[in-house]
Amino acid sequence: MIKYIIKRLLLLIPVLLGVSIIIFAIMRVFSPDPAGIVLGQHATEEKMVEWRAANGLDQPVVTQYVEYMKGVFKGDFGTSYYSKKPVAKEIFSRFPATLELAFCAIIIASVFGMSLGVLSAVKKNSWIDNMSMVLSLVGVSMPIFWLGILLIIFFSGTLGWLPAQGRIETLLRPENVTGFYLIDSLIKGNMESFSSAVRHLVLPSIALAMYSMAIIARMTRSTMLETLSQDYIRTARAKGIVERKVIRKHALSNALIPIVTVIGIQLGSLMGGAVLTETVFAWPGIGKYTVEAIMKSDFPIVQGVVLLVAFIFVMMNLVVDIIYAFLDPRIKYS
Amino acid sequence: MKKKLALVVAPLLALTMLVGCGGNKATTQKGDSTNQAQSADTATAQTGSDVLVFGQGSEPRGLDPAFVDDGESSKVIVNIYEGLLAYAKDSTELEPCLAESWEVSEDGLSYTFKLREGVKFHDGTDFNAEAVKINIDRQLPPLRQEDMPYASFVFADVKDVEVVDTYSVKINLTKKNTAFLANLAMSLAAPIVSPAALEASGGNVNESPVGTGPYKFVEWNPSEDIVLTRNDEYWREPAKTKNIVFKFIPDNSARIVALKNGDVDMIDGIDSTGVAQIEADGNKLYNVAGMNINYMAYNTTRAPFDNVAVRTALTKAINVPELVKALYGDYAELATSILPSFMPGFSEEIKQIAYDAEAAKSELAAAGFNQPIKMIVYNNPRPYNARNKALAESIQSYWSKVGVEVVIEDYDWTTYKDKVIAGDYDVCFYGWIGDNGDPDNFLNLLCDQNAAMNVARLNDETLKEMITEGTSTEKGPERDALYTKAEQYIAELGVWVPISHANSLSAYSPAVQNYSYHPTGNIFFREMYK
Amino acid sequence: MSEAQMNENKQGKLEKPESEIKQMWSALIQNKAAVVGMVIIGFLIFIALFGKWLMPYDPNYADLSVNKQPPSVAHWFGTDEQGRDIFSRVIDGTRVSLVVGLTAVSFALCIGTVLGAIAGYKGGKIDTFIMRLMDIMMSIPNILLAITFMAALGRGIDKAVIAIGLVTTPEYARIVRGSIMAIKDSEYVQAAKVIGNSDTKIIFKHILPNVLSPIIVRATLGISTAVLETAALGFLGLGVQPPYAEWGDMLGRARVFIFEAPYMLIFPGIAITLTVMAFNLLGDGLRDAFDPKARS
Repeated sequence: MIKYIIKRLLLLIPVLLGVSIIIFAIMRVFSPDPAGIVLGQHATEEKMVEWRAANGLDQPVVTQYVEYMKGVFKGDFGTSYYSKKPVAKEIFSRFPATLELAFCAIIIASVFGMSLGVLSAVKKNSWIDNMSMVLSLVGVSMPIFWLGILLIIFFSGTLGWLPAQGRIETLLRPENVTGFYLIDSLIKGNMESFSSAVRHLVLPSIALAMYSMAIIARMTRSTMLETLSQDYIRTARAKGIVERKVIRKHALSNALIPIVTVIGIQLGSLMGGAVLTETVFAWPGIGKYTVEAIMKSDFPIVQGVVLLVAFIFVMMNLVVDIIYAFLDPRIKYS
Repeated sequence: MKKKLALVVAPLLALTMLVGCGGNKATTQKGDSTNQAQSADTATAQTGSDVLVFGQGSEPRGLDPAFVDDGESSKVIVNIYEGLLAYAKDSTELEPCLAESWEVSEDGLSYTFKLREGVKFHDGTDFNAEAVKINIDRQLPPLRQEDMPYASFVFADVKDVEVVDTYSVKINLTKKNTAFLANLAMSLAAPIVSPAALEASGGNVNESPVGTGPYKFVEWNPSEDIVLTRNDEYWREPAKTKNIVFKFIPDNSARIVALKNGDVDMIDGIDSTGVAQIEADGNKLYNVAGMNINYMAYNTTRAPFDNVAVRTALTKAINVPELVKALYGDYAELATSILPSFMPGFSEEIKQIAYDAEAAKSELAAAGFNQPIKMIVYNNPRPYNARNKALAESIQSYWSKVGVEVVIEDYDWTTYKDKVIAGDYDVCFYGWIGDNGDPDNFLNLLCDQNAAMNVARLNDETLKEMITEGTSTEKGPERDALYTKAEQYIAELGVWVPISHANSLSAYSPAVQNYSYHPTGNIFFREMYK
Repeated sequence: MSEAQMNENKQGKLEKPESEIKQMWSALIQNKAAVVGMVIIGFLIFIALFGKWLMPYDPNYADLSVNKQPPSVAHWFGTDEQGRDIFSRVIDGTRVSLVVGLTAVSFALCIGTVLGAIAGYKGGKIDTFIMRLMDIMMSIPNILLAITFMAALGRGIDKAVIAIGLVTTPEYARIVRGSIMAIKDSEYVQAAKVIGNSDTKIIFKHILPNVLSPIIVRATLGISTAVLETAALGFLGLGVQPPYAEWGDMLGRARVFIFEAPYMLIFPGIAITLTVMAFNLLGDGLRDAFDPKARS
C-alpha cells in the first residue's frame, strides 16, 4: 500500500511538469505582451525593453521556462506583475476562502445528494423519486452563474435575508489563525463572527453545490438500486431484519464505494465551478482572482494558480483511490 | 416576476427541508447558526455607531499618493494624508491646509509657503519644511520614477524646493503656471507622506501609508477591504467616527444590496439602473453635477479619420441626446462641450455637430467612405461612464443604420490603456474626472504629447498655442474667454464627440449625518457619523 | 458522468450494426426521458433553422427610444438596454448555442478519436505519451483552461469553439482508447489483421464502428457541457462579438439590471437550462438504450 502511494506521488511530478509546460506555452507564446499593461500609461519603449529584460521576458521561451522551474523548486513562484507581491503570498492569502467555500459546498452536495439518492432508490417511482430526479436533472443543466443570480435576486434582493457578496462583515472578521473564518471565529469563541461567516457562505455554497449534488444524487440512486436488488439484501430481508437497518447497514455501506469516488471527483471539479461562483458572489478567493489575473495577463499568478489547482486535483484522485482501497479490501494494489 | 419566481423556488425549498429532516448533523447545525445569525444582526445594529463602512467598486492600486492614478486609491488617500492646500467642502476653491499661508513672487516663479506648526505624522514624527522637500524631490528628476503617474502633471514646472527654515519652504518654477496652487491641493502626488515611513519602506508606502490626516491606516485585506482608525492627535478637531472601512464590492447591484441590508453605510459608483432600487430601499441619493467628461475620439493619425468631413458625417449619424437619455437616464448631463457647465470657460454658445442621419448617409457617400470601423472600448465601469460597453454598442447600432460596419473590441481598463498607447484603432472612448477644478486640467490633455492622454492623437499647433496661453494667463474673465475660444475650435475640429458629464452619484443610509461627496470624486469622512 | 464511463466500458461486444441500431432505436423511443429530450432538441433545431421567420424583430436592431421595457404584447420578453427585442435575441441565440455545441463537440471528437485510437491500438510508449498528455489536460478544470485559451487567442465565438473543443478532447480520447483496448485482441480484429489490412483501415473500418455507442453517448452529453461552457465564457464577456446574441453574453450584460429589469435575466437562463437538459436527457436515454443489461 505504502509502495503504491509513493509510486502515485512520484507520478505527480510528470503531470505537474506537463501542466506547467502547457500553461507556460499558452501564456507566453500566445498572450499579448504584458510590459505595457504593467508599466501603465506613461511607459516609454525604452522602459518596456528594460522591464522585459528585468523579468526575463526577452529570453527564449525555453530559457524562461527553465528559469521559472528553477525558482519553483526553490519555492519561488515569481512575483505578480500587477501587485508586485510574491505569487505564493498572493495565492495563499486567498486560498482559504476558496477552500472554505468548496468544503461547505461538498458537504451540502454530499449530504443532500446522498439523502435524495437514497430516498429515491428506496421509494423508487414514487413522487419523491420523480421530484428528486427532476431536481437533479435541473441541477446538472443549470449554469452555475445563473443559479447564483437567481439566488441573489430572491434571497438577497426580494427577501433581503442573506448577503449577496463577500465573506463576512468587515468588523467581525476573526483574527487570522487558519484563514478559515468559520474555524477562526470558533477558536476565538466569537459567535457573532461565526454567524456572519455562515450567512455569507449560504448562497455561494448552495450555488456551487448544486451541480455536484445532482451528480451525487443520481449516482447514489443508481448504485443503491443495484445493491438493493442483490441476493444478500434479499437474504437480509428474508431474515426479517428491519427495512431501515437493511438499507443503512447493508445496502448503503456497499453502495458507498462508487459514491465516494464521485464525491472525490466532484471536490476536484469544484475548483472549476469556484471560478464562476466566486465571480458572481464577489467571494475573495482564488477563483475570482484568477479570472482577473487572466484578463490582465498576469502570467506568474495564472501559472501559480493552475499548478496549485492541478496539484489538488491529482491529489484528490489519489486520496479517492486510497479510500477506495480501505472501503473495498478486494482491490489490490501492486 | 417575483411571484413566479417564488412559485418555482418554494417547492424546491420545501423539498430541501424535507430531506434535511432526515436527521443528519450538518443540517441541524446549520439551522442553529441561522438563528444566531439573526440575533447577531441586532447586536451589530446597536454597536454600529463607531464605524462607517463605505462600499466601493474596486480595490485601490496602492496608498502612496505618488504611485497611484485611480479614484479608488484617491478616496482612501484623502482621509490619511493632507497636502499643503486643500479644496473647500463642495467646490474646488482653494483653502490653506498644511500650509497656513503663501506668497508668490512677482515673476510668478517662486512660491513661499508658511507651514502649520505642531502637526505630527501618524508615526509621531514632525511635519516640517524638510518633509515637504523630501516629498516633492522624490517626484522630480532624477529621483522621479516611471511609475509615478501624476508626478509630471502636478509638479510639471517645478525646478527645485528650498528649505527656508523649519516651517517655511520655497518652491521654484521654471515657468509660470496658473494651475500650480490648485495642483498642490490634489489628492494624487501632492499629499505629504511621512519621510520616516518613506525611508522605512524603501520609498514606497503603497501598503504602509503614514500621513497627517484625520485617519490612520490599520489594515488592508486583499480583495476585501481597508480599515482606518481615528487619528486622535489630529491638528484640527478629530474625526467624529472612530473607524472607517472601505469595502470592495465590484458588482454594482451587489453594492446596492449591501447598502439595503446594512452591510455598508454608503456606496458610490452608482448608475441609473440602481437608482429606483436605492430609493425604494429608503436610502438617500447624493446626486450632484460631476466634474468629468465622457467622450468618444477619432484616431486622427489614420485615414480617412484625419478628414474633418468624414468625422463630421459620422458624428451626424449619432443621436447623442437620445443615447444619453437611454443609457444614463437622469444621472448624466448631455455634454455640449468638454468643460462641464459650472467650470470657468464654459459657454452655452458652443454647439456640437447635430444629429441628422440622412445628411450623414449622403455626406459619407460623397466622401467615398466605405470601410469597417475598428472601435475599442473599456469594459469596466468608469466613474464618468458607468455603461462602458453599452455606449460603444449604441454607437455601433447608430452607424449600422447608415450602413457603416463597426467591429468592437473590449478590454479591461488596464489592458485598454495599453491598447490606446499601441494606437491600433479608428475610434476609442475616454474620459476623466477633473482633479483640481481648473479648465487647463480638462483641456491640456487633448493636445498632450502622451498618446495615453491625447487619444485622438491630434497634433494641432493652433490648439497647443491656445492651451499654453491659458496656463500663463492670470485667473479671470480674460483667461475664461481663452478657454471658450479653445472649446469653439475643438467643436469645429470634430475630433472628439463629447457624450456626457456623469452626475456624481453616491448613496447613503439615512442614518449617516453630514454626508457629502466631493466634486473631485473623493469622500472626506472627518465630519460624518451615524 | 463517471456513471456513464462505467457503463460504457462494459460495452465492446461485436454485433451486426444494422440490427443493433434497430434494437437501440426501439429501446430509445420507449425511454420517456429520451423522447422528451428528442422532442425538445427537435424544437430547438426547428427554431435554429427557421428562427429568422419566427422573430418578430431583427435581433440586432437597436432602438434606444424603447430600451429596458418589461415584457409586453409588443415585446414578449421585453427589450434590453439597447432597445433590442429579447424574444428575438433568445431565438437568435439558439442557433449560436447549437452551432457552438455541435462544432465544439465535433472538433473534440475528431481529435480525441484519432488520439485515442492511436493510443489504444498502438499501445506502448505512444500510448503512454498520449494518455499522459490527456491526464495533464484533465487535471486543469475545463473552464479555467478554456478562459486561459480565450485570453491567449482573443475573444470571439470561433475561438470559443476551439477553446471548448480543445479542453474536452481528453474525455473522448479516453473513451475511444478504452473501447479499442477492449476489442483489439478479439478474433475479429485479429482476422482483419491476418488478411493484411492496414492499421488505419483496421481502426476506422473495423474497430471504430464497433465502439461507436459509448462515443455517441459521450458526445451527446458533451454537447450539453459545451453549451454550458459557451454560456460561461459569454457570461464572463469572452463570447460573441457585439451586436450578436448569445445567451450567456445576454446574462452577463443584464446582470447590472438585477433590480431594474430582472426579466432580462430570466429568459436566456431558461433557454440555456432547457437546451442543456434536452441533451442530458437524450444522452442518458442513449446510454440506457445502448446498455444491453438495461434493455432487457
